[in-house]
Amino acid sequence: MNSGLLGMPLAAVGEVGEGFFKHRTGATLPCQARPAHLFCWDWATEHINRFGTPALQQFELVVISVLIGFAIAFILALIAHRFKPLQFPLLAGTGVLFAIPSIAFFMLLLPITGRGRETAIIALSAYTLQIIYRNVMQGLNNVPDSAKDAARGMGLTERQILWKVELPLAIPEIVGGIRIATVSTVAIATLAVFANAGGLGSQIYSSSNLVFPTAIIIAGAIAILMAFAIDLVLLTAQRFATPWRRAASEAVP
Amino acid sequence: MPAAEATKQSQGGASSVVYQGATKRYGHSSAPAVDHLDLEVEAGEICVLVGPSGCGKTTSMRMVNRMVELTEGDILIGGESVKKRDAARLRREIGYVIQQVGLFPHRTITQNIATVPQLLGWDKERVRARTAELLALVGLDPELGDRFPVQLSGGQQQRVGVARALAVDPPVMLMDEPFGAIDPINRERLQNEFLRLQAEIRKTVLFVTHDIDEAIKMGDRIAIMKQHGRVEQYATPSEILITPANEFVEDFVGSDRALKRLSLMRVGDISLWRAPNARPGQSTAEVRAELERPDVEVPYALLVDERERPQGWLTKRDLSGDTVPATADAPLGPVLETSDVMRDALADLLQGESMYAPVVDHNGRIAGILSIEIISEFLNSPVAATEEQSAVERPLAPDRASEIAADE
Ligand SMILES: Nc1ncnc2c1ncn2[C@@H]1O[C@H](COP(=O)(O)OP(=O)(O)OP(=O)(O)O)[C@@H](O)[C@H]1O
Ligand SMILES: [Mg+2]
Repeated sequence: MNSGLLGMPLAAVGEVGEGFFKHRTGATLPCQARPAHLFCWDWATEHINRFGTPALQQFELVVISVLIGFAIAFILALIAHRFKPLQFPLLAGTGVLFAIPSIAFFMLLLPITGRGRETAIIALSAYTLQIIYRNVMQGLNNVPDSAKDAARGMGLTERQILWKVELPLAIPEIVGGIRIATVSTVAIATLAVFANAGGLGSQIYSSSNLVFPTAIIIAGAIAILMAFAIDLVLLTAQRFATPWRRAASEAVP
Repeated sequence: MPAAEATKQSQGGASSVVYQGATKRYGHSSAPAVDHLDLEVEAGEICVLVGPSGCGKTTSMRMVNRMVELTEGDILIGGESVKKRDAARLRREIGYVIQQVGLFPHRTITQNIATVPQLLGWDKERVRARTAELLALVGLDPELGDRFPVQLSGGQQQRVGVARALAVDPPVMLMDEPFGAIDPINRERLQNEFLRLQAEIRKTVLFVTHDIDEAIKMGDRIAIMKQHGRVEQYATPSEILITPANEFVEDFVGSDRALKRLSLMRVGDISLWRAPNARPGQSTAEVRAELERPDVEVPYALLVDERERPQGWLTKRDLSGDTVPATADAPLGPVLETSDVMRDALADLLQGESMYAPVVDHNGRIAGILSIEIISEFLNSPVAATEEQSAVERPLAPDRASEIAADE
C-alpha cells in the first residue's frame, strides 16, 4: 500500500540534508549522492537530530489515539456487555471503521476537520476501536460462568460483578487488545503526515527519498523501537496487574 | 473479638426453611421444573435433596436465595418470605456453595473467603481474623491463604468454597453437590470433616446430591425427589432404608439397603469382641490360659505395647516360648477407629482379607475387636434399626486437636 503513495504531492514535506547539493564536488562525493548506497552513516550521524521532533509527534499521536480509542471501545464494550443484542451491530460498526484504509480516512476527514493533528487522531483512534472492542468483549465473554454464578450467589450486584470479577479477569485480553492497537497505530501513524500532523512519516514520504533510503531506514527503525518499547511497558504492566496468571504457570498440577 | 461474636450468633442463629407450594416454570414451558414443592427443613438440620438428574434439585435450592425466582408459592426463611427481601442482601445472608466451586481465579484464597465480609463492610482486622479462623475451621494450612485457586488441589478448592460460604456465619447454607468433583477418598474426608464441622456450627443446610450414599451419610433428613421436584419420601436416612415409601424410593435406594444401613453406624456403636492382650515379656502360659476362657471370642492374642496400642497378632509359634516376644509373627492388618463408619470398616476388613480387626479409641488404645461375624449379626438383627441415629446425634470423631495429641 505504502509504495503507491510515495509519489503523492502531499508527501513533499520531508527534505534531504542541505549538504546534498552543496558538497557535490569531485572525488569527495558524499555517500547520499550515490543512488545505489543503501545506508549512509555520515549523513545519519550528521542529521540524527532532525528525527527528534517527528518521533515525539509520532509518540504523542499514538498515545493519544490509543487512549481515546480505548476509552470509546471500552464504553462500547460495556454497553454491549450489558445489552447483549448490541454486541454484533457494534462489532460490525467498529469493523467498518477498521476496514477503511487509513489514507482514505484522512481524505474523507479533511473537508470536515481540515488538515492537522485532530484529523490524524480521529482516524487513528477510529482504527483502534475494533481491535480493542473485540478484545474487551472476548475478555468479558471468557470469564468462567462458575465465577459469575458464585459472585451472584454471594450477593454481589451486577455492577460489583462487572468491576470486581469480570473486568479483572478480562485484563489479559484487554491489555492484549491495547498492545495490538498500539503496535499497529505506531505503524499507521506514519501516514499522519498526509493530514499534516507530522510524525515520522515526514521523514519517510519525501519524493527525494526514492533515491535516498537512509532517512526511511532511520525513521522505520525509530518506529520499530517505539512499538517495542510501548509493548514492553504494557506487557510489564499486565504482568503486574495479573499475578494470578503467573501463579497459574507455576502451579503444580 | 469478632470470632467469638460470630460463634455466639451461630448457636442461636440457624433458621428454618419452609417451602410452601414453591413452583418454578422456566420461560413459557408448560411443564414446571419444580411443581408445588412443600418441604420443611428444621433449623440446624442437614436436609439432603436427592434424585435423578433434571428432577429439579438445583432449581429447588436456588429458589431459596432467589438465584431462581419463584413462579408461584413461597419460601420462608425463619418465618420470613424470601420474596420480601432484596435479592442481593438475601444472598449475603445465605451461604452458597455452587456445584462448580466457582472460586475467583484472580483473588487469593484469603480474598476469596473475605468476599462477603468485605461486601458487608467489615473492618480489615475483623476480616483478617475471620478468614484465618475459617481456614483453620475447614482444615486448610494458613499458608495457603496467599495462594491463588489454581495453586490448590481440587479437594482444597472445595474446602475454600465451603469456607467462603461460611464467612459471615449465615444461618442457612445451600450446598449444591459440594463434594461432587473430587476423588472418592477425598470426598469421604470432606464429608467427615463437614459433619464434624456441622456438629459445631449447627447450620440449617440444604445439601444437593445425586448420590444416595452421600445422602444417607450426610442427611438428618432426606428428600427423595422425582421429576418436577415431587418429593416421594421425606424422612430420616434409617426410615428411608427400613421402610421405603414406594417403589420409586426403593429403586432409588437400591437393592443393597441392608448394607447401606451400615453407613449410619460407627464402629464404636456396636458391642465389640475381646481378644486377650499380651505385652512383650509377659508369660505365655498366662496368655494361653486366657485364650482358653469361654468368654474370649477371638482365638488369637493381640500383642500390645505399654500404652495398650496394638502391635500385631501372636501366632502359636510366638506363644511357644516362655515369654511373649517383642514383635508379633502375624501382621496387624487393618486397624479401625471407634469413630469409623461401619460400612468403611467392613470394606477395610474385606480388603485386608481379615476376619478380625482391632479397634482403637482416639488415643490409639485398643477398644475391642471387630469381626465380620459381628457385622453380619447386626445386619440380621431386627433391633438394629432402633439403634440408628441421625447424623448430628451420632457420636462424633474426636476433634483434630486430640488426634494430633494422640499422634505425638
Ligand atoms: N435456566 C433454565 N432454563 C430452562 N430450563 C431449565 C433451566 N434450568 C433448569 N431447567 C430445567 O429444569 C429442570 C430441573 O433442572 P435442575 O437443574 O433443577 O435439575 P437437577 O435436579 O439439579 O439436575 P442435575 O442433577 O442434573 O443437576 C430440568 O428439566 C432442566 O432442563
Ligand atoms: Mg443440579
